[in-house]
Amino acid sequence: MKILVCLKQVPHQDARLEVAPGGTWIQDSNIKFDINDYDKYALELALRIKDAGEAEVVVASIGPDRATQALRTALGMGADRAVQVWDDAFAATDSLAIAKTLAAVAKEESFDLVVMGLMSDDANNSLTAPMLAQFLDLPHVTSVVKAELQDGKVEVERELEGGSLEVRSVPLPALLAVQTGINDVRYASLKGIMAAKKKPLAKKSLSDLGLDAGAVAPKVSIAKLYVPPKGEGAELVEGSPAEQASKVVAKIKELGLL
Amino acid sequence: MAKVLIVGEIQGGALREASLELVAVARGLGGDVVSLVLGKGVQGIAEDLSKKGGGKVLVAEGDALEAYSADTHTAVIQQAVEAEQPDLILLSNTPNGWDVAGKLAAVLDVAAVTDVFRIEADGDGFLLTRRMFNGKFDAQLRASGRTLATVQPGAATAYEGSDAGSVEALTVSGLSSRSTFVEVRKAAAGGHDLTKADIVVSGGRGLQKPEKFDEVLEPLCAALGAQMGASRPVVDAGWKPHEYQVGSSGQVIAPKLYVAVGISGAIQHLVGMKGSNFIIAINKDPDAPIFEVADLGVVGDLFEVVPALVEALKQAKG
Ligand SMILES: Cc1cc2nc3c(=O)[nH]c(=O)nc-3n(C[C@H](O)[C@H](O)[C@H](O)COP(=O)(O)OP(=O)(O)OC[C@H]3O[C@@H](n4cnc5c(N)ncnc54)[C@H](O)[C@@H]3O)c2cc1C
Ligand SMILES: Nc1ncnc2c1ncn2[C@@H]1O[C@H](COP(=O)(O)O)[C@@H](O)[C@H]1O
Repeated sequence: MKILVCLKQVPHQDARLEVAPGGTWIQDSNIKFDINDYDKYALELALRIKDAGEAEVVVASIGPDRATQALRTALGMGADRAVQVWDDAFAATDSLAIAKTLAAVAKEESFDLVVMGLMSDDANNSLTAPMLAQFLDLPHVTSVVKAELQDGKVEVERELEGGSLEVRSVPLPALLAVQTGINDVRYASLKGIMAAKKKPLAKKSLSDLGLDAGAVAPKVSIAKLYVPPKGEGAELVEGSPAEQASKVVAKIKELGLL
Repeated sequence: MAKVLIVGEIQGGALREASLELVAVARGLGGDVVSLVLGKGVQGIAEDLSKKGGGKVLVAEGDALEAYSADTHTAVIQQAVEAEQPDLILLSNTPNGWDVAGKLAAVLDVAAVTDVFRIEADGDGFLLTRRMFNGKFDAQLRASGRTLATVQPGAATAYEGSDAGSVEALTVSGLSSRSTFVEVRKAAAGGHDLTKADIVVSGGRGLQKPEKFDEVLEPLCAALGAQMGASRPVVDAGWKPHEYQVGSSGQVIAPKLYVAVGISGAIQHLVGMKGSNFIIAINKDPDAPIFEVADLGVVGDLFEVVPALVEALKQAKG
């Protein structure tokens, strides 16, 4: 069994984000990065399959130099090998180009299962997984909250709205995009982090994958990124915590809820 | 002027309200509007949509379309696109919408943008506005050429006009799905029903540790006589059971008072609580999107503000 996990390095959940001059992306030179939250759950799913039997887990990421750190962390958690792809053309790209490139990575070998996140925490596109499935001609399921490997297939539950779940049976090879909460994500142990230093991490360029910048030219670009304009918004309460508290209490009284 | 294809979505045997919102978005662009309805036994729904602004409604019927499948839905929508040659294809940003959107965009090799709340024509393409970074920023995206977009439910008001359109069968053959639909089931409901509470106090990732829910949030619930709720990361981490979750994949509630503590206000959380009669938000980030839906906002460290609030409530009650 060979499993590919596609993961993206994104700003850390606690990073303070600001729009960069130019107004088309965030200021990302001085912030902490992390593995996309959804992708940690995806990796954990793959590692559990490995723990339960025989599997090789390969992690792949399209990202600049700093993304090596995310891949090393994934190797420290237990992945076996990593592939990192970068070209400056990716700096302003779209999901279709990312998916085409990930497809080129996946086609270099043959995977029984591809696991991804439902959504990236920066772009929030929820597009890459079904796009990649199409390029690899695989059946896919998104919003996966449960996945059980059985003989030649995987039984999944897909999250719908309002507490409804859809049960589906998917033949392998297949692609799954997981929702957060599907499992408890492990941390990389110290031993794991040490071992990760010796695990293979291949760095590839577009030409290594038989692609050129034209092949990944975006159809979608960011014209403007900005803090949402303040609408009516909330009445803001100023002062010390005690002053703020007394104003809030006055309001709750006024509502007749005390 | 742009020609728009609307892909209607059926849920529980009826057209979703979100599909009529797509009609409003499509009509707002001022061009030609055609629609697609696919499923089993959906002729009536198609006729209805044709009278509610859907324009010419293509209807694809068949046993293979009874349950949603990305494979079959992609094939049908692709055929509708080939027949109609629209400039813009609109779906709703629902679990089925985002499951099919990427696959369809790859098949058609077109620009794709999800969860948009505003669309304008722009040269040979479109300008689409949406949230990014989980609601922290808005982005205006430029899409070139034929474009596929999923629209955030609730972003537009459902079209209410009655325009006479027409219904036409779209014959599709050879549909098959590689994955098999088994069933839809309801997640087991717990005893913690937030929908009946007058006051709900929810905690988010800002509480940082599970024990803070007992130490910091519980006293506030007690002082207010409130039920406790939570955002998704709190439930994902196993700090609180799923029945505490407020939002699109949790409970949708409208209490008299909702207090959001350490919750940023991502859209999926907002849809679960924005109907509340009065909303108080406590967050240290003055730009947190939760303040946009809150009536009263306290910018500050929850670990200072909440204990102060508990104290003030105790005093007020004497
Ligand atoms: C399909 C789908 C369905 C989803 N369904 C739901 C759902 O039903 N419900 C839901 O909630 N989410 C849902 N989500 C997740 C959603 O997108 C957000 O990730 C989530 O709501 C964020 O939770 P949060 O606000 O607690 O965390 P964060 O976004 O991390 O926000 C934490 C906040 O705490 C503040 N904070 C931190 N420390 C302090 C402090 N000391 N004092 C004061 N403030 C502080 C920060 O400023 C920040 O604003 C869904 C996502 C998807 C894709
Ligand atoms: N640059 C990238 N490198 C590797 N995987 C990615 C990348 N971008 C997106 N993905 C994968 O696609 C998923 C969905 O991302 P998105 O479509 O951007 O919301 C993520 O959770 C990742 O699994």
